[in-house]
Amino acid sequence: MRPPKPVIGFYPKFIVKKYLQQLQSIMRKFSIFLFLCLFYTFSSLAQNPLRVSIKGIVQDTSSDVLAGATVMLLQPKDSALVNFSRANDKGIFEFRNVKNAHYILKISYVGYIPYQQLISPSVKEIVDLGTIGIKPISKELLEVVVKTARAPLTIKGDTIEYDARSFKVPQGSTVEDLLRRLPGMEVDAQGNIKAQGKDIKKVLVDGKAFFGDDPKAATKNLGAETISKVQVFNDKSEQAKLTGVDDGKKEKAINLELKDEYKKGAFGKITAAVGTDSRTALRGNYNRFNKKEQFSILGYGNNINETGVNWSDYGEFKGNNTFNQNDNGDFGFGGGGRYYYSNGDGITNNFDGRGFTKNGGGGVNYNFDNKKTKLSTSYFYNQTRLTLDQYQSKKTFLQDNSFTTIDTTNQSNFRGNHSIGTRFEQMVDSSNTVIAKVNLRFSTNTIATKEAERNFSEANALRTATELNNSSDVSSFNLTSNIIYRHKFKKKGRTFAFSTGYNVNNSDGTENLNSTSKFLNAGTVADQIRALGQLNNNANRQNLLKGSALFMEPLSKKIYWESFYNFSTDNREVGRDAFNAKLANQRMDSLSTYYKNNISYNRFGTSMRYSHSGVNVTLGLAALRIDLDGKLYPRKDAQLISSISRNYNEVTPYIGADIELKSNTYLSFNYNLNIDAPQIADLQPVINNNNPFYLSTGNPDLSPEKSHSLGTYFYKFDPATFLNINLWADYSYYLSQVVYNQTVDPTTFVTRTRPENLSGGRRFSSGLYTGFPIIKTKLTVNVNSSLNVSSNPTYINGVLNQNNTQNYEFRLGFSLTPSEKLIISANGRLGFGIIKYTISEAQNQHIRNNSLDASVKWNFAKKTFLETNLDYTNYRNDRFDFNQDIPIFNCSVRRLFLKENKLEVRLAAFDIFNKRQSIVQQGYQNTVSNLTALTLARYFMLSLTYNMKGHVDKLKKNQGWE
Amino acid sequence: MKNSIIIIALFALSFQTYAQQNEGIIHFTRTTYWTKLNGTLSYLSKQEKEKQAYMFGGKDDWKEYTLLFFNEKESRYTHSEEQSEESEGYSWRKEEYNIRRNFEKNTMNDAVEMLGKVYLIEDSLQVPNWKILNDIKDVAGHICMKAMIQDTVKNQKIIAWFAQDIPVSAGPERLYGLPGLILALDINDGAVTVEASRIESKKLTTELDLPKKQKGKKINDAAYQEMLRKFIQEKIKEERNPFWIIRY
Repeated sequence: MRPPKPVIGFYPKFIVKKYLQQLQSIMRKFSIFLFLCLFYTFSSLAQNPLRVSIKGIVQDTSSDVLAGATVMLLQPKDSALVNFSRANDKGIFEFRNVKNAHYILKISYVGYIPYQQLISPSVKEIVDLGTIGIKPISKELLEVVVKTARAPLTIKGDTIEYDARSFKVPQGSTVEDLLRRLPGMEVDAQGNIKAQGKDIKKVLVDGKAFFGDDPKAATKNLGAETISKVQVFNDKSEQAKLTGVDDGKKEKAINLELKDEYKKGAFGKITAAVGTDSRTALRGNYNRFNKKEQFSILGYGNNINETGVNWSDYGEFKGNNTFNQNDNGDFGFGGGGRYYYSNGDGITNNFDGRGFTKNGGGGVNYNFDNKKTKLSTSYFYNQTRLTLDQYQSKKTFLQDNSFTTIDTTNQSNFRGNHSIGTRFEQMVDSSNTVIAKVNLRFSTNTIATKEAERNFSEANALRTATELNNSSDVSSFNLTSNIIYRHKFKKKGRTFAFSTGYNVNNSDGTENLNSTSKFLNAGTVADQIRALGQLNNNANRQNLLKGSALFMEPLSKKIYWESFYNFSTDNREVGRDAFNAKLANQRMDSLSTYYKNNISYNRFGTSMRYSHSGVNVTLGLAALRIDLDGKLYPRKDAQLISSISRNYNEVTPYIGADIELKSNTYLSFNYNLNIDAPQIADLQPVINNNNPFYLSTGNPDLSPEKSHSLGTYFYKFDPATFLNINLWADYSYYLSQVVYNQTVDPTTFVTRTRPENLSGGRRFSSGLYTGFPIIKTKLTVNVNSSLNVSSNPTYINGVLNQNNTQNYEFRLGFSLTPSEKLIISANGRLGFGIIKYTISEAQNQHIRNNSLDASVKWNFAKKTFLETNLDYTNYRNDRFDFNQDIPIFNCSVRRLFLKENKLEVRLAAFDIFNKRQSIVQQGYQNTVSNLTALTLARYFMLSLTYNMKGHVDKLKKNQGWE
Repeated sequence: MKNSIIIIALFALSFQTYAQQNEGIIHFTRTTYWTKLNGTLSYLSKQEKEKQAYMFGGKDDWKEYTLLFFNEKESRYTHSEEQSEESEGYSWRKEEYNIRRNFEKNTMNDAVEMLGKVYLIEDSLQVPNWKILNDIKDVAGHICMKAMIQDTVKNQKIIAWFAQDIPVSAGPERLYGLPGLILALDINDGAVTVEASRIESKKLTTELDLPKKQKGKKINDAAYQEMLRKFIQEKIKEERNPFWIIRY
């Protein structure tokens, strides 16, 4: 029987000699124990009592009894606690009737070195240990223990481990300087190291050789502050390692364990793909990090309609700056807005399904975080070149008439953006925090549009036809900046926050409008053809200054009082010079404009909240004032023509309730009165004639939109059956809504729109989502249904038209995971829309979009996966005689190769039936439209992805947060 | 001469601590580090865990406050009314969680809400399988010794730090049975930490009394553990985090 390995922790003085003496004495004791153990192992063959009593007296070195000392009996093999007791006021302890076995007796007392002693099975029924003297911890060591809460040195087997943080060295010291301070360690002038008198042949860093075999390479070059632990151990000789035969020769070696923050890492991946029809894609990212810093590079280029990266890659790029808390400085009802949010920065894919795009982008990101200071900065450039061909047919209803517009558009569009962002957060101290953010964006956008538009009468006779050839070139500059300061007062719950921001939005551009229109009903030949050649020079300037303050005061444990103030002043300058290209580029005064607008916004709000055990109810009231100030000039630097000045004062109530009930039930309700200032473009009193058949003019007399909104939400989760139910309903009613009233010429169908305020618009939406397992962990079902009802009024040729729409949607889905290697899901969706127009009741529309999709993920062989999905959608509108089936079938096989599955090879087929196109059916105001756009259809692609960290070689049941 | 100063200093210190605080209230801060907690889930790949740490490390902590009422015979551990900074004055409903231990009668009487139901766990106190380790550290002004226990149901390695100078076997969460009062816990390398921030020595009045009427389903500890085990197993199989629903 091998004697138990002692686990000894002790705390030496910083005197090498004494430390070595102690070590020797322990070794001596240990050999006595060894002997005793062996002895008792033999002697226990004789009849020993089954149960014994163990007793003794605890004293300190000056023979004072230590009353109340903790005495423990541990099992030698794993230090398991068997029994414990306390020394009485005479220092006597006793364990009665314990099993006669091997024990470690451990005595601890505050200010004393924990004492350990091995006890072996006894031949007698009473084991009297006599007087046990325990030693006080030296004063300096006690300080180390109490202050750093760490033991500076421990012994595990034949390894001595020093806690580097307990040995203070001056800043900038090397590991060599640190070693000089460790008890038992010697370093000579040349840097040669000895531990317990023996030469150190090898220095490892985190268990790995550091730049070859020279032990000085690490100790002379590494900074002491990077080290958390120094371990001295006996290593097998190189010979022994090579042959695998332990020759008994031991060499002293040192292992330096790095602190976590100096643990560096890197990850990254690169994907290259080629496909049929010269489809290609390349994307890659590389990240390096340590505990404080993160650095990343991301780049992509493709012609497969990926205008950006996915959210997962975006998260890796932005690292710990992806989600930020407390970034909203626009305080209002319902707290300071402490939520995480992320916006994708325009780097994420936002392709809308129409057309063909070529995309490219790349950037760098750097984050620094040492808990107190957080700094993130990034630069990104991205561009997209879009080629779009689309066909739209739109039917417009008038009071006793209707007409159809057929539009064929070919557009090419180039967008390029440079963006630079910086975020800085400083925790000044535990009660003050400052966040500063600056984002800059430079963009260019070039659009060329060729459009053919034809208007047909109700009897399907061609009335007008126009060919447009427009182009525009805009470059813009955008700055947003924001500083938020938060202060926590000594009184718990009392907080103050202040924010200020400055935004700039400038754009300069030219527009080239060319069109030829034929009016087939016109009386005279001169009226039959109209040609337009116009050049617009646009210059828009906006700067916005804003500030917000928030104060929160706990009135009692359950009542909070919250007040906020918002201020902003928004200055805009819009300039357009229109020139007639057909008349020697003469300025067209009627289509030119220059105006300046200022909107100031002031809001003060206050609320009371009751907050107690899951019930949070807020009642609030805000007073706001909007001042609109507009000045109109014929051109820049000219005499003022007219000016408008308006102000609106409103009082808006707020009610909010969040209630968390027993058994996982949650309820919320809120009511708001919303006031929104009119869009500045709608106030612009100038004609937009980009399309000669659809002319819009602004209205300087607009007043703000005003609406009541109500929302409720109910959630319940039953953990026993895993059933969850979500129910919600939202309603809003417009007291004043900005709508685009129309005047339509009954013969030419030229439409003029003008924004005006109207009341009576309504919206109601409601939904239900529920999901539960039919067979736990195997088969889940979910039901999702929603209802949207809205009523939107507009005046058409002076007659009020109510556009009432009802949209119903019902989804049913199943997800089946029969094994770890197979995941099947199937979903069905029925969508039904009814659109009614009070102006022309016979024209009510019924739009249907039904779909069925099924997907299979199958890990059918080792490291090999098949993924396939079929999405079958039917678009239908009987009145249009429109009935289109779009079956999209994708299939791919991928296999993982190399060590740690670093390489993934994937062969994918997209849209195998070659049917993909984009279809949008919708009805609004007095129209119903149907849009079809071409987009990327069938292609096959082979892609290779190399991931430094390897790919996951199993199927994921849930996408999780990705 | 120098030695005698040390001895005097030590005496002063031992007197200070000798005034044993065997009755009072301990204020604990319980912090959950979600990325570390998720890091203990077996179904997440190494890549996913590293990515979570990369994106959320350093801002994944969630603080709660708890109280332990104790004397030499009994203890009760429950939520504190105190709200964390993160709550911004919003109050969330706290699940029923009252852990009662009677060391004299050797009984537990816990009211624990789990999966929407309150369970009354009534059982005798079994001797927990603590291992005593060598390190010592200071928690809230008390020098504590290190002990370790394995929770095989929740698959947790729990490190407890117990005060040498408070001879009470009570502790936070459902832990007990050490020679001194447990002042700090570290579950699975810092996924959840519970640490005493303040120790209030005072005479307790009714804090330890059993409520007259307790609503809930009575079960024994083994049945409760079995229920936990089954639930965790099911959720892990579904690849969902069971500790979004139950206490870690």
